[in-house]
Amino acid sequence: MNRKRALISDTFNLKKRRKGSEKFGAGNDKDEPKDIKSTLEYLMTLFPRKLFNDTLPQVVLKHQLYSIHNDKTLVDKEVNKLRECGELLMFQLGFDSEAFGLVFTSDYKTKVLAGEEGKGTRTTVEKFLEKVLPSCTDLSFSKDKMLKVFLFTDSEITQLVKSGVLTVREAGSWWLSIPNSGKFTKYFIQGRKAVLGMVRKSKYGEVLQADLEERRTTSQVKFPLRYHVHDIVGAELVESIPTTSGTLLRFVDS
Amino acid sequence: MSHCSISSLQMLGFLTARQSGLDDPLRMRRAESTRRVLSLTLDPDRDVDRIHGNGINTIDIEAVEGRYMLSGGADGVIVIYDLENYSGKLQYTCKAVCTVGRSSRHVHKFSVETVQWYPFDTGMFVSSSFDKTMKVWDTETLKPAEVFQFEGNVYSHHLSPIARKHSLVAVGTNNPKIQLCDLKSGSRIHVLQGHRAEVLSVRWSPRYEHILATASADSKVNVWDVRRASGSLFTLDQHNGEKSKASAEAVNTAHNGRVNGLCFTSDGLYLLTTGTDDRMRLWNSASGENTLVNYGKVCNESRKKLQFAVSRGCSPDFVFVPCGSSVAVYALHTGELVTMLRGHYNNVDCCEFHQDHQELYSGGKDSNILAWVPVLRTADVEDESNNDNKGAAGLSAVNPAFQDAWSSDED
Repeated sequence: MNRKRALISDTFNLKKRRKGSEKFGAGNDKDEPKDIKSTLEYLMTLFPRKLFNDTLPQVVLKHQLYSIHNDKTLVDKEVNKLRECGELLMFQLGFDSEAFGLVFTSDYKTKVLAGEEGKGTRTTVEKFLEKVLPSCTDLSFSKDKMLKVFLFTDSEITQLVKSGVLTVREAGSWWLSIPNSGKFTKYFIQGRKAVLGMVRKSKYGEVLQADLEERRTTSQVKFPLRYHVHDIVGAELVESIPTTSGTLLRFVDS
Repeated sequence: MSHCSISSLQMLGFLTARQSGLDDPLRMRRAESTRRVLSLTLDPDRDVDRIHGNGINTIDIEAVEGRYMLSGGADGVIVIYDLENYSGKLQYTCKAVCTVGRSSRHVHKFSVETVQWYPFDTGMFVSSSFDKTMKVWDTETLKPAEVFQFEGNVYSHHLSPIARKHSLVAVGTNNPKIQLCDLKSGSRIHVLQGHRAEVLSVRWSPRYEHILATASADSKVNVWDVRRASGSLFTLDQHNGEKSKASAEAVNTAHNGRVNGLCFTSDGLYLLTTGTDDRMRLWNSASGENTLVNYGKVCNESRKKLQFAVSRGCSPDFVFVPCGSSVAVYALHTGELVTMLRGHYNNVDCCEFHQDHQELYSGGKDSNILAWVPVLRTADVEDESNNDNKGAAGLSAVNPAFQDAWSSDED
């Protein structure tokens, strides 16, 4: 019996058919996109702005990109490039050491400043956004750095923590964070758990992606279902298997 | 010409280019090796003798001829197999040449965790086990020439494949200290201190005979130069010094969990590590820098060491990692999952790549050793129908590459 899917390398000028990129039947209606930035923009549109009354900038998780692009190393490299040129900001979201949130810098600045309207901490936050963000792509800051390199005073640091731009990591060091993102994290974890439960409780622990997206969601799921699907596929909490009836999502027991 | 499939045409192209000097001779070899690895599949014709009654923990193929394979099992039994096929038939079993079975006086009392042939000839091999001993065996008599006693379970040992100036065996045990045992003198005074928890895997560099890498349950991987009196050369840091990326405890760790697998690439320039945080990382072995190749989730639940393998002579190279009950094949430098080799009935514990034949052997808890071989080039449809017309007997035992597809019928 011949193996139906022989993997032949490029040196023989035959198309190397990689596992998972074959489009069967009612498969992807979205063509495989060429660049990361447009994928980011597409994922940003899935973010529910109304849910947070437009106070939060649109956040996407880095591993959601892995669900669309096959080459993870390439995705990582491109994301770092965007961060280096100052267009993208990355945040440690806190609930998982590997879950990083991505926000466009312009979005972030607008929302943070809008949130600071009329507050006393406004000038300090402005100073932080002008001075620190363009020059430093770190996820966290230590006390030394804040005092000596960026010349902030202790009281200014307290103001920054109060405004939500910095979050305490441990004594003497802070994470860069998105103000008022607590609600986001809470709804996100709730929704992720609910969607994973939907897949797990299906017969045989698997469900067609098209079917899942049609289903009615409980009140636990506040984000669009697609947002969560990209998340669980990218974080490899479910296995994504191409079939003749479309993509199948199978719960991964771990 | 119409009889040949496209790939044979290209193969001929490579051959001509090589003959005429247009191409470097290595290029065709690399291309063909890569094609063979990409077409790895379970061999329906080859079996490995089933001697082990329990799971197989470790296998090793000797480097000299690539003919004999050692395996160590959870039952303490060690078996030597002959991988060559001299029967002339397509279907054959790799016979067990000899066994250190439960009836032997010298057999290990508990499970054998690591076996390794002496790198320079098959007259000797070394095995280590959970019975806290490491035994150096004479292959002829199957009796241990030397027994090293330890205080804790021995997880892993390794002899340097290229050492000329020393004959040290590095041993990783329950104890955070790594012992170096000298085969020539039997001494074991050299100890490497630096880890804080049990050492799960040790590996000599295939490039420099004095460089040793060790992995431990304390999430750290240390690289040592055994000629130095002081501590390790460096510790692998997954964040490459970027202290901002994770919590302070994770600084200078190679993984966010126990590090249980180590493998150098065959040129010794890169080191692969696997850990129970379900990640595999590729490191530059000279600088200790994390190359940040992202392999995604590499499922790893092993509480002991994980034996995995890297191909050699292909472009690109591939990593074969046991992943649950299958073997995952990743492209080394891009991190892409090429395929999953499924065939075992239970967890796969070890795998070894036969460098010259581009074959993979894997052993697991189902007491089977499976051989994965490159698929032979399939005969063309026209050739097959021609054979049927001539009334040839069913399954041809001749390799299609040797079939006469060129001569014309009119000659």
